[in-house]
Amino acid sequence: MSEPTNLPVDPEPIREILKNHQQQIRLGLRMCAHCGLCADSCFLYRANDRAPEYMPSYKFLNSIGVLFKKKGKVGKPAVEEMGALVFENCVLCTRCYCPFGIDIPALITLGRRACRSQGVFRAYDK
Amino acid sequence: MTHSEIFFLSAMGEWIRGPLAWAAFLICGAGIFIQYRRLLAMTRTQEPLQVIPLDEVQTRGSFADRLTGWLIFLRISILGHTPFMAGVSLIFHSGLMITPLFVLAHNELLDMAFGISFVSFSEAMTTKMTLLVVACGAFFFLRRIFVRRVRAITAPSDFVLLLIAVGPFLTGWLAHSHVLNYQLMIMLHILSAEIMLIMIPFSKFSHMIFFFVSRRLIAGEHGRITARRVWRYERLSNT
Ligand code: HEM
Ligand code: HEM
Ligand code: SF4
Ligand code: SF4
Repeated sequence: MSEPTNLPVDPEPIREILKNHQQQIRLGLRMCAHCGLCADSCFLYRANDRAPEYMPSYKFLNSIGVLFKKKGKVGKPAVEEMGALVFENCVLCTRCYCPFGIDIPALITLGRRACRSQGVFRAYDK
Repeated sequence: MTHSEIFFLSAMGEWIRGPLAWAAFLICGAGIFIQYRRLLAMTRTQEPLQVIPLDEVQTRGSFADRLTGWLIFLRISILGHTPFMAGVSLIFHSGLMITPLFVLAHNELLDMAFGISFVSFSEAMTTKMTLLVVACGAFFFLRRIFVRRVRAITAPSDFVLLLIAVGPFLTGWLAHSHVLNYQLMIMLHILSAEIMLIMIPFSKFSHMIFFFVSRRLIAGEHGRITARRVWRYERLSNT
């Protein structure tokens, strides 16, 4: 991950993202049945001892999903945890399969955007 | 019970059997229609990319080709990769939607109200189907508690909604078997059925609408090949 900074969270850009994609996020969150059927379609989930943190729905529910529910009011440690989920645990290969057709990678992408707006992103030279 | 309590309960009973029942069916029907229109409004039609000419896509191949196509479709669907869960889900959902239509008592009520009725299953058959739905619900419940990946994404509302979905079946069966007080059970049955109907358009139960819209009308890898709708919101902004 990027160097942890002590800067506080700036809620404005997060709220902007939430506002611009409100319909899409709300639809995804409402339709997800929390059934876990998308789990095995993610190769990272299968390659990491089936740890729940790699499950596609876990990754969007606990990033953009939490931000949406809390209206962006989260602390920096929470954003850094989200960063780990959306940058380290997903490569956006778009292979995840949800029986309802929820666009999981699009929601994870929004999670990435929100993290990036707080200076949390992938450190490629780690 | 005092007189005023008895009066209160019977007035509530009247209300639950009468206006609330009509309201529940109306809210459910209108809600489904409105949510469907909303999904359509969130999408627009777009000419498909003609990688393969459309008439070639639409012409039906030989029987063997079509069979292979279906087998591949099933193989990559949840029936292919999670057959047990998908099977339980299929039984649960079929029971959920078919059973109430063929309950003898329901058809008698329909007959009294409108003078129409469907065929009814035998009461033994209805009870079996009812218990099957309850059993599938119990399976989902246990799965939520004991399967790690499902537990990780379970919210308290998932349990509440599962209970709301199974509620009418549990209370219908308890009433039919005359467990405790019949009148009370029937009241609970009607109330739980009304709660379920009202929740369909406004909770995750609305996946009933989304499922068909997203899999049949919206273009995508797992949708129908001739689907033409695309989301509008993807073009909204880059931030
Ligand atoms: C608001 C309208 C409803 C009314 C007035 C109503 C009324 C009744 C009545 C009077 C019974 C007969 C119980 C007996 O056999 O003594 C019954 C059974 C039953 N109801 Fe309903 N019901 C309603 C809605 C629903 C809904 C929406 C569902 C399911 C989604 C449902 C599921 C059942 C089932 C499964 C049984 C049969 C239980 C059994 O025989 O084991 N009902 N209902
Ligand atoms: C024809 C319409 C419907 C379709 C195609 C459909 C499809 C699905 C699918 C694919 C799932 C994913 C998990 C699983 O396979 O169990 C699911 C879950 C679920 N559905 Fe439906 N559904 C429909 C209607 C309904 C209705 C009307 C209700 C309730 C009134 C309902 C209640 C549920 C519940 C409670 C779950 C979650 C089970 C759990 O806790 O894991 N569904 N549905
Ligand atoms: S994203 Fe789809 S498959 Fe995954 S838990 Fe949600 S509804 Fe189930
Ligand atoms: S896009 Fe992310 S969540 Fe989906 S299958 Fe690929 S790595 Fe897994």
